[in-house]
Formats: sequence, structure tokens, C-alpha cells
Amino acid sequence: MRNILMKEMKLSASPLAFFFIAFGLMFFLPGYPVLCGEFFVTLGLYQSFQYAREANDIVFSALLPIAKKDIVKGRFAFSCCIELCGWVLMLIAVLLRMTAFAEAELYRTNALMNANFFALGMALLLFGMFNLIFIGGFFKTAYKTGKPFITYIIVCFVIIGVAEALHHIPGLAVLNAFGSEHIGLQLATLLAGACCYVIFTFLSYRRSCDSFEVIDL
Amino acid sequence: MSIVTIRNLKKSYPSFEVDMISFSLERGRITGFIGRNGAGKTTTIKSMLNMVHPDGGDIEYFGMPLRGNEAAIKQRIGYSTGTVNWYPRRKIREIADVMKSFYENWDEELYRRYLEMFELDEEKSALELSEGMKVKCNLLFALSHGAEALILDEPTSGLDPFSRDELLELFDRISAEGVAIFFSTHIISDIEKCADDIVYISHGKIVAAMSRDEFCNEFSQPNESLEETFLRLERGETNA
Repeated sequence: MRNILMKEMKLSASPLAFFFIAFGLMFFLPGYPVLCGEFFVTLGLYQSFQYAREANDIVFSALLPIAKKDIVKGRFAFSCCIELCGWVLMLIAVLLRMTAFAEAELYRTNALMNANFFALGMALLLFGMFNLIFIGGFFKTAYKTGKPFITYIIVCFVIIGVAEALHHIPGLAVLNAFGSEHIGLQLATLLAGACCYVIFTFLSYRRSCDSFEVIDL
Repeated sequence: MSIVTIRNLKKSYPSFEVDMISFSLERGRITGFIGRNGAGKTTTIKSMLNMVHPDGGDIEYFGMPLRGNEAAIKQRIGYSTGTVNWYPRRKIREIADVMKSFYENWDEELYRRYLEMFELDEEKSALELSEGMKVKCNLLFALSHGAEALILDEPTSGLDPFSRDELLELFDRISAEGVAIFFSTHIISDIEKCADDIVYISHGKIVAAMSRDEFCNEFSQPNESLEETFLRLERGETNA
């Protein structure tokens, strides 16, 4: 498993995938839809898939002494690593905004969604959607990236829009909690996001293994 | 002892099919897989490497079916599908560094020896190599992990006559160590030079799978070269 992941990092990955992890820090931005940070992290991954396709990575990988499902596993492992690195940066931003900057006027007067545990849960949901829609879609053909990525973009921005709008709906303002306010609810939404991430990623991995197995290279 | 056995392999495409492909490869023997362009050589080889999915038939290596044992089998075989056509901008060294982590029997000394023999500079990328050198580069990777069987798709195409001769001599040396070599070609002189056995495919069907001597006895006319025999057979003429 380690060698497959190293192959992904050393050969298949576009440098942009690593640089775009830094977009996780967009969770620090006030007056900005913070979940767009998640989108930019996945944009780096999309570049990586394209880069690997241009380098004929699938054929290279198919010739290695590994089962075809291990190729899928490697790509998922790499994507999850990048996503979780981006998410850790988001977590750092959230923790600082919840503590050191909890009373900062800049964040308190922010008309847009607050970066809290609910936002982190939504970021995980979006990463899960990327794995489900884009990676799962890619492995149907092992070369088409456009259609699954456009589908993902649409779903991603609809979810971002909904997440941004939720706290304006009467009764749901608590989702925009600052600091440790409504911490139980915040943690529950984070947990729900994490569950979605795990379920979507696992479902997509299984489906991708099945589709990739029957593709003729 | 057969180390690779193909039985009744079948693969259909909308406008082409290979059907009832059966042959076996023996330890220490060189088998030339010959057929004209589009005869089904690459489809057969890709099926043998699990890169395309046969519609029927069995593929066994070392007594194990390919399906379900792909990783273990690929540890023990070397293969190249033509020239290096992946990671064209990566240095040979970078690709080798990744590859060696996958092979339990990667032999660094052997790798260095073939690097020298093929006069390859590992600081070069595939993009900087001629077509012939790309073939050698692919062979370098296929030969560096002590494979018991080598499956090579047109390894001599694109090589100059000197390199081809060198490569065919290398086949002789490797097979003498007990390695089974299976290589496809449409260059009949390659077969004449080094093949012990011949698998001849035409229009997706195996016409002959036997030793070269048996092939000549069965198909060649008196004083006819192997090339003339194949050309006559491809034209649809028989011995009669």
C-alpha cells in the first residue's frame, strides 16, 4: 500500500495538488464563502487526475505487479491524503477563530457563514461528494474527467449555496454559532459530515473497483 | 514444463475477434509470436497481462489462474508493450526508483548492467530517447527483477539492425538461464534468428503453435525460407 501511495505522490501527482492544499487556509477569510476553500483543494486533485492521464499513468500502473483494484486504492488513498491535509488546515483556522479570534469584530460582523465545526462538517461532506461523483465517475472510463468534474462542480456549489443560506432560515441561526456556543450541535454536524465522507468515499471506492476491473486498457 | 498456458482464449470486438487461442510456453525456450498487423497479437498479449478482459478461456502462469493471482504472477514475469509510452517527461531514474519498490526481486546490479549494456542514460526522460532506445528502456525495466517469463510485444520494432541483433542474442543468453521468452513480431527474420517455437496467428485464430522444426516440416515447401512460407500462408495458399 505504501509503495502505491508513494507512486501516486512521486509520479502521478501534479504539483498543484500539493500547492492547492493551502486553500484550506481560506477558512480564515472573513466575508468570503469559506467552503470555496474545499473546492480549490479538489481543483488541485482534478489537475492531478488530468496530469496522470496525460502521462498514461493507468497503463503504467496496470503493468506493475499489483491487482487492478490496487490502482483504484492508490488513487483514493492519494486523494484522501490531500483532502485531509486541506481539512487539517481548515481545522486549525476554525480552532483559532473559535478561541483566539472568537470575539474579533471582523468575524462577528461577517454576513456569510462562520467557520465553525458545522462548516468543517460541510467541508467533509463536499470532499465526500468529490470522491463519490468525480473519482467514481472517472473510473467508469479511466480517462474521462470533464463530465464527472462538471457534475461535481454543480453539486458542490449548490451545497455551498445551501450551507451559506441555512443560518438565515428562522430557527437555524444556531448553525452559525461562534466560539463554543451550541458546541453539542456543532460537534453533531461535524460528526454527520465525517460519516458522510466515510460512507461516500467507501461506496465510491467499491463502485470504482468494480467499474475499473471490467475496463479494457 | 509449461510455465504459461493459454486455453481457448476468446475476445470479441465489434469488428474483430480472437478465438480459440491456445498455446503454452516452456521454461528456457524462446517463442516467436508472429502474425501480420491486426492479426490479434496485441489483443492476445494484453489478455495475458489482464489489460483486456477475455470473453472466455483460461490463462495460467506457474499453474495458477491469472484471475485472482495477478499481483503474485506479475512479480515473476517481465513484460513490455512496445516502447515506453508513459511518463514521457520523467527521468528513467525516477521511474526506476518507483518501480523497484514494487518488485520483491528487483536486482539493482542487474539493472545497472542492463543500463550499461543498452547504453541508456538514466538521467534522460523518455521524451529524449529515440524509438529504439525507448524499446530498450522498456526492456530494462522488464529484465531487472529476475523474471521467469518475459512477454514482449514487438520488442524489436524500431530497433536498428545492430541493436536488434544484440537483443536477439540477449534473448538467447536469458533463455539459457531457464527463462521463457515470448515475443510478438512481424519481422520474420527475428523468428529465424532465435525462436525455438512458433505461434502463428492469422485473422484472430492460431494457425500453428509448435516448435520451429515441426513448423517447417509441416508448412514449408522444399527450399522455401520461413519468410516465403509465411507469405504464402498469409495469401491463403497451402502446401498443395
